[in-house]
Amino acid sequence: MAFLGQGSNSLLRITPILKRVAPGIASTCVKNASKDANQIRTDLALLMPEEVEQRKKLEGYITVDDKTDISPVTGVPEEHVKERLVRIYMPPKNAMQSGTNNLGHWEIDFETRQRWENPLMGWCSTGDPLSNMKVQFQSKNDAISFCEKNGWQWFIQESKLEKSVKPKSYGINFSWNKRTRTSTK
Amino acid sequence: MLRSTLSKVLNGSKLSPNLVCVTFRASSDVAKKPEKIEVFIDDQPVLVDPGTTVLQAAAQVGVEIPRFCYHERLAVAGNCRMCLVEVEKSPKPVAACAMPVMKGWRIKTNSDMTKKAREGVMEFLLVNHPLDCPICDQGGECDLQDQSMAFGSDRSRFTDIQFSGKRAVEDKDLGPLIKTVMTRCIHCTRCIRFASEVAGIDDLGTTGRGSDMQIGTYVEKFFMSELSGNVIDLCPVGALTSKPYSFTARPWEIRKIDSIDVFDAVGSNIVVSTRTNEVLRILPRTNEEINEEWLADKSRFAYDGLKRQRLITPMLRDNKNQLTPVDWEAALLTVGKVLQQAGPNVAAIAGGMADAETLVAVKDLLNRLGSELTCTEHVFPMDGSGTDLRSSYLLNNKISGVEEADAVLLIGTNPRFEAPLLNSRLRKTYLHNEAEIAVIGPKVDLTYDYHHLGTSAKAINDVANGSSPFSKVLKNAKKPLVIIGADLLKRSDGAAILSAAQSLAAQATNKPEGWKVLNVLHKVASQVAALDIGYTPGVDKIREAKPKVLFLIGADEGAINKEDLPSDCFIIYQGHHGDQGACIADAILPGAAYTEKQATYVNTEGRAQQTLVAVSPPGQAKEDWKIVRAVSEIIGMKLPYDDINEIRSRLNEVAPHLIRYGDVEGANYFKQASQLLQEKKSVDDSPIDVKIKDLQDYFMTDAISRASPTMAKCVQAVLKQKESKY
Repeated sequence: MAFLGQGSNSLLRITPILKRVAPGIASTCVKNASKDANQIRTDLALLMPEEVEQRKKLEGYITVDDKTDISPVTGVPEEHVKERLVRIYMPPKNAMQSGTNNLGHWEIDFETRQRWENPLMGWCSTGDPLSNMKVQFQSKNDAISFCEKNGWQWFIQESKLEKSVKPKSYGINFSWNKRTRTSTK
Repeated sequence: MLRSTLSKVLNGSKLSPNLVCVTFRASSDVAKKPEKIEVFIDDQPVLVDPGTTVLQAAAQVGVEIPRFCYHERLAVAGNCRMCLVEVEKSPKPVAACAMPVMKGWRIKTNSDMTKKAREGVMEFLLVNHPLDCPICDQGGECDLQDQSMAFGSDRSRFTDIQFSGKRAVEDKDLGPLIKTVMTRCIHCTRCIRFASEVAGIDDLGTTGRGSDMQIGTYVEKFFMSELSGNVIDLCPVGALTSKPYSFTARPWEIRKIDSIDVFDAVGSNIVVSTRTNEVLRILPRTNEEINEEWLADKSRFAYDGLKRQRLITPMLRDNKNQLTPVDWEAALLTVGKVLQQAGPNVAAIAGGMADAETLVAVKDLLNRLGSELTCTEHVFPMDGSGTDLRSSYLLNNKISGVEEADAVLLIGTNPRFEAPLLNSRLRKTYLHNEAEIAVIGPKVDLTYDYHHLGTSAKAINDVANGSSPFSKVLKNAKKPLVIIGADLLKRSDGAAILSAAQSLAAQATNKPEGWKVLNVLHKVASQVAALDIGYTPGVDKIREAKPKVLFLIGADEGAINKEDLPSDCFIIYQGHHGDQGACIADAILPGAAYTEKQATYVNTEGRAQQTLVAVSPPGQAKEDWKIVRAVSEIIGMKLPYDDINEIRSRLNEVAPHLIRYGDVEGANYFKQASQLLQEKKSVDDSPIDVKIKDLQDYFMTDAISRASPTMAKCVQAVLKQKESKY
């Protein structure tokens, strides 16, 4: 969302602070409404003249959220914004296990950089501060907008997991004329 | 209407063709749409096809029923009883994996009865399961561990008051890949079913009953399969674990990087597990369209070859004819000078593991120098349309399409060892689809029965002109397939064979829309990408051209040797292993193996996929396309790409499908390809041969697997087993 006073092409949005007060004022003056001066638009009353001018110019336009890049203010060093490539993917099932409870979400991670065994303890070391950053998302689009907001380049790794469900049958193990008959037990 | 037609037939009256047609349609409609059954899983309604098991119905609404013996891709065994669930109004719990649902069943997967049943099963399993999780390799990724935590009881009634100990079973020796600790076995029989159904060898089985039951090979025997490693994944406990990986790491210490396998042209999806810049193991990653969830043994176990025989520093041949290590600057300057002097007399040969980025960079560099001599090691006939029409060199019907085929003709290929996962699909269609399979070529063991139509290439013509018994089968088949091995086409009559196969494939007329009969099976991972980019298959052109500089991009198959080249030819080898190519080289530029670079590979179907960086290249080795880019800058012909995105946009310019990762770019124009290839020369009579006939030939076929000690042990074990009387 663009903020007040930012660049000439960004659109204004003003929080209507006084809107809540307005009906109260109006109800007290209902009797002699005709004699009253025009009601002051409370959301405009506190504006600077140049802001009013700007508002007038933008009448008839609608406010649209534009792309926000928060990377200049996040404090992430520039090399870790511009030179990183983010992978957006659904974590695969571990082939060693049959459980699927921790799957079905999207994740981001960064490209792998040099790692080495630390001579002190034999632990694993890296100079890459983002190597352990894995963020989970509900959907692919959430992950994409997160990457765009942080100014990272990204790509999507799709997994081919759809399969047709064929009813399984215990009986085919014993069918006498099919090749599915089991020979070994 | 059906009744009236039948009565007409019985009365001998004439049947109007109109009526017949209507009757057929009506009956096929009925067959196509069986009524769905409504059942309730934990009060959630779900509509399923008749015959669906309780477990599958539950899976459709996202309820996972615990299981040990049940596996999606194997037959139902129903012997572990872990999947017991309560069905309302049923006095006993039912085994969800084997029981088909009935209309209106209310299945309770979380009721007290279900929980009690699970606890009981778990207690029995644990009575005889050793408490050796701390020293078990499965620890941390063990189904038994997880399920005993989730569904087991918090106490056991097992009290060994006699101190007689738990059941103990002697370990079996299944060869150098699979480590067995049979005491841990819970008799789920997954490994037995895998061996007999998927791998197609009935070696594993059970002996004894009750607590004396054992799983094994009856006699001590090496588990002789090219898919044996998958039983390690299947085993829900630590009874079967990986021998090379044993006691190496715990699952929570390792990093898992998704990647692509390059040992064959199938392009299996893999997960590379690493720790401290070292590849510790490779596991399959599910991809329903390629490898399902299996992985061939070479792809799974040859990773230790990545640590041996590596080229870690640039080298130049000195005046004593010895290769001596130099730094990158010296190597690049020498190579640059040589290339500048040679001008357009440069040639390049791409090996089987070259990635698309490197291929395009080398081609761009050579084209800038004025040379068109970019070739691949593996041959493909260039007559007719040659490689211009992609349909002539792809596995057009896709790997998953094999599953639907009902008649398959294999010509000059041994898919069991050239593409083990394609062969497992062929076996699947043989088992479940009653497919008829025929082979033209040497008689080899393909793990399923086939009609052997002869070893001569003439047999293709016999099938085409109807004189072979198989031609009728192929003609009547609804979904026929012809699969040609790419190796066969390197013969002098390769074009004639391809032409014969094309006309044979064109004969199939009653196939469904989009079904492609003609398929070519490649053996190496790089070939399709190289042909897509515009490399010339085969090195004959280089032999004729006598280049002054030869660029080998991981070419280790010895397609060309020093005698073929002029004596002053300078050979540059760029690759990751010191193998045949590096032996004849004058300069060596160390590159990265497939686990060390983000690179594009196109599999035999024409599906582009990318590997990711799992570890960094050893020593001074660098990513391959970057080396080519550096060389180009030194000779003053800078290639216009600086990072991975820029070279990928170059790939996009060359062929957009190269960066559409995961998708198959299908090919067409079969008719045109066949018309262009009107070969006058006929197929000659010499017998067809395939290079890999037996399991011992399968394990070591490329630079990485030749450097792998595990693969060497496998070859030894197979040879030893061959001598054994069992």
